[in-house]
Parts: sequence; C-alpha cells; structure tokens
Amino acid sequence: MSTPTYLIRRVLQAVAVILIVTIVVFALLHALPGGPARGILGPQATAQQIAAFDHEQGLDKPLPVQYLYYLGQLAHGDLGTSYTLNEPVSQLITERLPKTLLLTVLSAIVGLLLAVPLGMWQAVRRNKPVDYIITTLSFIAYSTPVYFLGLILVLVFSQALPWFPSQAPQGHTLGQVLSDPQGLVLPIAAGAASMVAVFSRYMRAATLENLSEDYVRTARAGGSRSRAILWRHVFRNSLTPVVAMLGYYVPVLFGGALVVEQLFNYPGMGLLFWTAAQSSDYPVLLGCVLIISVATVTGTLIADIVQRIIDPRVKAGRS
Amino acid sequence: MTADHSPAAPAAGPILRLDDLGVVFTTQSGEVPAASGVSLSVDPGETLALVGESGSGKSTVALAAMGLLAGNARATGSATVAGTEVVGAGEAALAGLRGRTVSMVFQEPATALDPLTRVGKQIAEVIRNHREISAKDAAAQAVELLGRVGIPEPDKRASAYPFQLSGGQRQRVVIAMAIANKPALLIADEPTTALDVTVQAEILDLLRRLAAETGTGVLLVTHNMGVVADFADRVAVMYRGEIVETGPVEDVLLRPSHEYTRRLLAAVPRLSVAGEGVPETARVATPATHSAPASAPAEPVVELDDVSVVFGRGRGAVRALDGVSLTVRHGETLGLVGESGSGKSTASRVALGLIRPTRGTVSLFGTDLARTRSRARRALRSGIGVVLQDPVASLDARMTVGECVAEPLRVHRRALSTRERQERVAAVLDRVRLPRDVARRAPRELSGGQRQRVSLARALVLEPRLLVADEPTSALDVSVQEAVLEVISELQAELGFACLFVSHDLAVVQHFAQRVAVMRAGRVEEQGDTGTTLLRPETAYTRRLLAAVPVPDPVVQRSRRAERLTTLAAGRTEATA
Amino acid sequence: MSTVIPPGRAPGTATPAKSAAASGTRLAVRRFLRNRLAVVGLGVLVFFVLFCFAGPLVYSTDQTHTLLHQVNLAPSGAHWLGTDAVGHDELGRLMYGGKVSLIVGLAAGVLATVIGTLWGAAAGYAGGWIDAVMMRVVDAGIAIPALFILLVVSAITTPDLGGLVIILGFVSWLVPSRLVRAETLTLKNRDYILTLRAIGGTHARAITRHILPNSVSTIVVAATFQIADAILLVAYVSYLGLGVQPPATDWGGMLSAGLTAAYSGYWWLILPPGLAIILVVWAFNAIGDGLRDAFDVRGRG
Repeated sequence: MSTPTYLIRRVLQAVAVILIVTIVVFALLHALPGGPARGILGPQATAQQIAAFDHEQGLDKPLPVQYLYYLGQLAHGDLGTSYTLNEPVSQLITERLPKTLLLTVLSAIVGLLLAVPLGMWQAVRRNKPVDYIITTLSFIAYSTPVYFLGLILVLVFSQALPWFPSQAPQGHTLGQVLSDPQGLVLPIAAGAASMVAVFSRYMRAATLENLSEDYVRTARAGGSRSRAILWRHVFRNSLTPVVAMLGYYVPVLFGGALVVEQLFNYPGMGLLFWTAAQSSDYPVLLGCVLIISVATVTGTLIADIVQRIIDPRVKAGRS
Repeated sequence: MTADHSPAAPAAGPILRLDDLGVVFTTQSGEVPAASGVSLSVDPGETLALVGESGSGKSTVALAAMGLLAGNARATGSATVAGTEVVGAGEAALAGLRGRTVSMVFQEPATALDPLTRVGKQIAEVIRNHREISAKDAAAQAVELLGRVGIPEPDKRASAYPFQLSGGQRQRVVIAMAIANKPALLIADEPTTALDVTVQAEILDLLRRLAAETGTGVLLVTHNMGVVADFADRVAVMYRGEIVETGPVEDVLLRPSHEYTRRLLAAVPRLSVAGEGVPETARVATPATHSAPASAPAEPVVELDDVSVVFGRGRGAVRALDGVSLTVRHGETLGLVGESGSGKSTASRVALGLIRPTRGTVSLFGTDLARTRSRARRALRSGIGVVLQDPVASLDARMTVGECVAEPLRVHRRALSTRERQERVAAVLDRVRLPRDVARRAPRELSGGQRQRVSLARALVLEPRLLVADEPTSALDVSVQEAVLEVISELQAELGFACLFVSHDLAVVQHFAQRVAVMRAGRVEEQGDTGTTLLRPETAYTRRLLAAVPVPDPVVQRSRRAERLTTLAAGRTEATA
Repeated sequence: MSTVIPPGRAPGTATPAKSAAASGTRLAVRRFLRNRLAVVGLGVLVFFVLFCFAGPLVYSTDQTHTLLHQVNLAPSGAHWLGTDAVGHDELGRLMYGGKVSLIVGLAAGVLATVIGTLWGAAAGYAGGWIDAVMMRVVDAGIAIPALFILLVVSAITTPDLGGLVIILGFVSWLVPSRLVRAETLTLKNRDYILTLRAIGGTHARAITRHILPNSVSTIVVAATFQIADAILLVAYVSYLGLGVQPPATDWGGMLSAGLTAAYSGYWWLILPPGLAIILVVWAFNAIGDGLRDAFDVRGRG
C-alpha cells in the first residue's frame, strides 16, 4: 500500500471511530436525568424554558434528525455552554487542553526513557536477581492506584523532605505552567509510574523475543559482539512493537491525567472535568469526553504513522 | 586478542578438525545428548557434506564448530578452526574468529537478516568487525560483494531492506556476509532447503564457484542426497548423534558400506531422466490395475474448468490462478507440481471448495459446487478426504488421536453409536498401520510421520472418493516419507479413490502419480502422463525445472550440471542476441 | 535459541507416555511453579481470600454502628490497626471491605472477559466488513478513557453493587476482545479447521469444538489480568465517589476516606487498605504472568 493510500484509509478509520464516539456521547446526552434539555439548561430551568428549548433545538423531532442536528453543532465547534462557569465549553477546553497534553506528553517521555533501558536490562539479565527485582517493582507500580501513589509522593517528597511543592504550577498559559518546573516533578512522577511498569514489561518481552531471532545468530556468526548486536539490531527491532503499544496506551495516559490533575490541582482538562462532575455540569462533561476521545484517536493515529516510519515493512503492507 | 590478527589458515593441515566432539542439551526432562564422539576434518578447498535425517545432530555439530550453540547446550571434546580451539573459548576469541576465519550460511533466509537494517549495512558490519576501514570503504566493498554473489544492480540493492528481496536474493546476501572477509572455512547449514529447486541450483553453483575461487573449505550440512552429489567431495553420515560412515562422495553414495546409509539412500526418491530408458526404480504406486481400462476413461471425480482466482481488488489485486483446467478421475492420481507461488496449493483449495473461484466452474462428483445449497454441498463433501502439509498444525492438540480421526464421523455419521465409532476408528488406524492404542494418545506424543498417518486415517475414515493431499510428506524425513506414500498408494489400490497430490518434489510425483500438471505463475504450463511429461517435457519451463533437480548420483549429477549450465548459457546468448 | 532438540524426535525413541491430558497439565503446572513470583502471588491471594472471608469468624467486629467514643484511635492491643473516623475497627473493616473489593473485582473482570470473548470471537471468525465494523466499535470504546465514562455515569446515577459490576464490565471488555479476536484469526486458518471445513463441517462445530477450546488458555490469562485491572478500577471508582455507599465499603472507599486524614498523621487509615489493594492486584498480575508461562500464551495488549 502506498503512503497516501494508507494515510487516507487510516484517517477514514479514525473518522469512523470518532463518529461512533459521537453516537455514544449523544446517547449519554439522552440518558441525562430529565433529558438533554434539563442537562444543558441546568437544574434551575423552568418547564417553559425546557419546552421552548426542546422546540428550538429540534428535540421534539425523531432521534436520527436530532443526531444529525447534534453533529451539525459539533461541526461548528459548538459544544454548548457551561452553566456553572457560564462560558462556552469549547473555550474552556481550548484553554486547558494544551496543559493536559503537556502533562501527558512529559509523563510519557519520562516513562519511556526509563522503561526502555530497564526492559532491555531485564532481558539481558533474564532470570537473574535484577530481573526479579525490577519485575516485582513493576508489578507494584502497576498495582498502585495513582491517587495513592500521589499521596505517598506528597507525604515523602513534599512533607517529610521539603524538596518539591505539593501543588502543581498554576496559570492560564503553557508558559506560566512551564515557569515553575519544580512543581511539575511530582505530577509527572505520579503519571509516569505505571507507564514505566507497563512498558518495561513490553520492552523486556520484545527484547527477549528478538534475542532469540535468527538474525542475532547471523550477526554473531559474522563476528559482532553481544553489546553491538544488542544496540545495533535488537534495540530497534524491539522498539517497533513498543511504539505500536504506545497508541493503545494513550487513553490510559489521559485517564491517569484526570486523577493526577485533581490530586495536584493542576489546571488542565482533568481538573475541569472533575469539577464539572461534582456540580453535574453536563455540557462540560460531555464536551470533555468528546475532545479527550478525539485526542486519543489522534494519538493512536500518530503512533501508527510513527511506526510506519520506523518500520519499513509496515510501509510495504506486511508485518 | 593478538592471536586474532595472525594470518588465517596455516597452509598445512585441515582448516576444521573435530575430535571426539560431544554436545549435551539440558532440558526440563534432564540431559539430552545431541551428538557424541564426532570426529571429522575439512581440508582447505575441500567440501565435506554432513548428512543425516532430522534429529541426527548434524546442525548441532555445525553450530558447535562455530561456538554458536544455545545457552542450554554444553560441548565436550575438541573443535579447532585454523588451529584455534573453539570448545570452551571466550566470547572475545570467538568473535575474532567468526566472520573472518570461519563463516556460516543458514537455512532460513527469511529470518536470517535483520529486517530493519539495509542489507548493504549488514554486510559492511561484518567487514568492519574485522578490518579497520572507513564506513564509506566498507559500504563500497559491500556493493562489490553483492555484485559477486550475483545480485543485479548491487549499488541500488545495497540500500534495500531484506523484505524487499526474494528468498534466493536474501540467501545471496547471507552468503555475501559470509565471504566478506575471505574466510578459510564456510559452514553451510541446509543453505538451500527453504528455496525452490531452480533457485537451489543457482545458489549451489554460486557457493561452488566462490569456494573454488578462494580455496575455502566448506562444511555442508544437508539432508538432501542430491545436493550432496552435486556439491561434496567427501561425505560424513550422521545417525542419532554419531558419525556412522565417512568417505569420498562416490563411495558413500554409490557403494555405501553402513547399513543405515544404505537404508537412507534406498528411501530417496530418484528422478528418472530421459536417456536412462525405463525407470529402474520400482514404482511405489501401481494402482493402474484398479483403474478402468484405458479405452473408457473413468468419470471425473473433480473437475476444474477454466478457473481463475483473484485475491484483493484494484491495483493490489493478485491473480493467483489464471484459466486453470484440471480433471482427476476415479482411481487415478494427478500430481500438481510447481515452485512456490505457482498456485498449486490455491488450485487444491479451489478443488476442496475452500476458495471460491472468481471465474470458471468446479464440479465435484459431477455436481457444480456453485449451484448446490449449503446442506447438499456438505453432504457432497463427505466424499472428500484431506491431508495437509504441516504434521503439527493438522491435528488439534487438545483432542486425542481417536477424537481427531472420529471427527468426520461425528460430522457426517451422527447416527453411529460410540462403540461403532470406536470400531471404525480402530479399523482405519489398522489400515494406516498405526497401533490401535494410539487412539488414546495426544498428537504431540507422536512423531511427524505418525501424525501424518493419523491425518490420513482421518481423511479415509469415511471411505472418500477423492483424497486431496497438499505436500503431505514434505515436512518428513525421506525414510518416513517413503512409508507414508506407500500406505497411501496401497489404500488407493484397495479403495479406488481419486487423488489430487500437490508437491514441489518432482521425483516424488514421478513415482506416485499417473498424470502430472506443471504449474507456473497461476497457469498450467503443461499436463499429461507422468511418464511422458516428466521424461520428455514439451515446454522449456518444465525442462528447466527438471534440469535443476539434483540426483543423488555424483557421476550422473556432474554431467547433468554441465548440461544444464550449457543450456542456460545458450539460452542467455540467445536472449541477448 | 530454537536448537533444543525435543526428546523422542529420533525415530523409535518416543517414550510411551500415560494420559495425554495429564502430562500436559503436569507440564503446565511445572512451568507455573518455576515462575517464583507467580507462586508468591498465589500465596498472597490465598492469604487475602482467607483473611477476608474466614477472618471475620475469628476476629469479629462491629461494622454497622458509628461509635463516636472511639474515633481515629491509633493501633493498640484492643484495635490492632486502630479505628477510623466513625469508630469502626480498621482491621475488621479491612476484612469487610476486602470482601466487596474481591467479589466486585472478580465479577467485573469475569464479565468483561465474557463480553470480550464473545465479541472478539465473533468478529475474528466472521472476518470481512463485519469484523471491520465490530473492531471500529472496539476502537471507539478504547478511545473513551474508562475513568471519564465512569465519572459521567457517577454524575448521572448512583448504582448498587450489581449495577457497579455491570458498568465496570462494560467499560473494560475491549482489551480481551482484541486478544480473543487475534487468537481466533490465527486459529481459523489452522490446518485442522481448514480440513474440517473442506469435509463439510459446520461453522458451529469449528467454533465450539476447536476455536474456543484452543483459546481457553488465552482467555484464562486475559481474565486474570482483567480481574487485576477490575480490582484497581473498583478502587478508582470509590475515589470518584461512584463506589459502594456507606456504611458498606471497600478498600478503595477506605483509602479515599482516609486521604485527608493522612495529613493529620493517621497513617493506619491509608496504609493498610492501600497495601491491600497493591498486594492483591500485584498477586493477580503475577499469577497471570505465571499462567502465561504455563500455557505458553503471548502478549498482554
């Protein structure tokens, strides 16, 4: 498959997935107590207001028509208005999404930079004490709820040892957030922990598999040293499936960001979402679900394309 | 380290000497000896073939000679390469030896190269492992090496990834890596087993030429007696981890002294060639007595009429079959031969109704498959028996052998009582010459040959009118292959089923089938009686195919090779003229 | 490397083994036992099951009434792990909450695996456009992070225990469905399935007699990891306020209730439930890892 054909197909797939997500969100909208009108106008709305809204928004029309109307609104970037903050949801999200992306991307980078060498180290020292210790620690990190880990981090590195602030940097813009790198340390650590656990396992498995491949034997037969084979051949070949897994991991990263932001009071989408859930601010909740899903689909798409770039075989339509 | 830089291969003495070499694997079920008391030597410029069946330990010995054994293996005794001891040597000493003094070519070109590194770079890596030259010079030498191993446009191909090359080209790249530093010894472990027969002939020619040019000693590990006859000067025969016979190739292949070697050679199907007169080897299959008189051909059991199969759509579409017409009649065997990708397996799957033809019709027992309803089609299919290539994947590992064999009965004879079913299974196991008590065993406890006989029992339990066998013996050793083929032809004589026999092995088809269809690129190149078509082929392709098959007689093979090379050269000048 | 020679490969040396199933099982058990972490995990799990279900018989406490005269007591002889903000004995509460965590996690994990298996097997076996549509639905499900959906649900309604299991099952069946689909795709092209179809066997027979039995190991391994994830998810759900309602509780509920108390130094309110969650989830992961070795199944994602 040529690259343009692949891109078109892959993007169409992503669009199909997003359409399915909009159906889910639309269904949730109709599952709201009192229906979408109550959900969007808020708990203080009167019966007349609701009737007027229903008529005006076409909510007395059949469901498929309503769905198309809903899609039309989305196409115009209209996600409704928050009834606690009284601001358009799209504006609230535009302001906070970059900050959440910053947090997740930094967590992912830190997580990968630790996980990849750890996993390779484990594979090379398979079934030695180091391997067992890292495996045990990985499972522990994976098994710890992020909010519990965050609490422990704060108790140890902020209260007992006053190294880092327990609050994330505040601010409206990315620049303001980045101006206080100290404050980002604990949130990133909490977000990266389970990523290190999961990806060191993947990397260990991929490295082990590649170490037993025939090409390693060929390289040894050509006089290459173990270390050279590991870095020149096994490393790249093991990294490819790990990058593919990264696509699947994007939703987990966003889920983690939700808890981390709440815990450290980080002014991103997770916190916005959390606050909206406390006050049943449905337009914000559903808008966030939709945007996070679009972000996830985009993240997966990018991971696929990156994999295609680093693995020439995928490009040729094989795997 | 200093010793590594001394010139390789002292002129005197053998380049490889194994002395009482033994290898033991440590497994979950204890220590398993793979080779013991192996002694042999290879002189510079000489080719020694190490032959044996699977599990004989021949590959283990080859790996031990390079110090490449797996972590759970332990070598004892001595193996010296150019005077350097390999057994017990450290990683650094071995790395200095490998790729410079001794190199290796492996069986599976599909996996032997790093899929993510360009082939030129992989060759350059071997060069730079042993010589202090710049990356640029190494790259230039890699291109030159690719040219020497016969890869067209080597400067472009150097930047290709392995998946962009064909199997034969990949094997050429592996060979280029092996000869990059002009080693004194080349170990080739089944270098042509995974390749088509015409590609095999080219690779053997290449290896022979390179070895002759540089005076390299070759240790050739193979199970193929034809390859031995084509290439080797001397032969060592391995059986159950030990060498049972060593000698010059003519002696061992023509006048074997050891009982095992004699048995092994007797089991090798020999290709009869024109000019030899009537095939001397007795035909394994003689079901002709049971087929109808030649004047009135029996009714067709399965018939493919002008069948085409296209996979995929648009630009990526692949035409797997193109206007194929085949007929198999009651009591006869049609051999379907061709190289990989020729469409022979696809054709058999169309006959089985597993692949729907894009165009053309398939009739089974006189009924057009496309026009039957699913229930009627299922009933028709009770007349088919199937044996496929892979002895492991053919049987569901979670069932006992008895359950596997009984499955067709459960599908089509649901009225049978448990007892009747068990009796039928026992009877058919008798027929394929397996003891009845294997019914209670798991497939994985059986050997490959036994498993294929279980598949055959399953295929025959409903007494089918058609047996489709897709490479049923190509995963088996020759002695086992002979036994399985014998069982099939005996039962065919007894039961009179028609047989569609797919194989890449022309010698097997010649012995086993009455008629043959030669396929190439989705088309039937030619078909006819086996005796005529494979002795006096009408098309150049079939002639080329037959000429590429090495026969296990070094004298005959030498003249065949000369003949083939002359024909090829003539063809080439014709083409260029 | 793949040069290990299977014993019995040489002609005539095949050892006559007893019952096939028994030797297969024994081999699997041996492989499992060789994974030391898995054995430890199994021990940890057995301990917690006994602790939660048999523990209250030995160490009985009052978990229904609020006892305001004994709130936030530090561990002592009378209350080994102290008491919480409404006077419940912490050790007894750990047993009481553990029951809920284990049962809900187990049920939700199994439910997710069942849904995922059916969906994945159907998509993989059907193939073609049905497969494509079904897998896009899975993609969409994965694209909406589970925690976000759970929080929306919590803003809309407060489910009972059964409802909680169903909600958790319905947000986490996606990964097992992918695994089972991949397994089905490879199995349906196995030679024995092709043979069965060629001789006229039905799809139903192919699925029930071959594909599902051969996927069992994949499914069991997936279920083990799924249970681990579900127990973790239950802990999150309580943190999000969607969990079990007081006076009932689970480990996640205890943990989130104790979060604020932690800053006041009441460590016994968060460490025991926190460690309990970590250990049990860890145990299920280690067991899953061991089962994967035992059954020789690949991959988790």
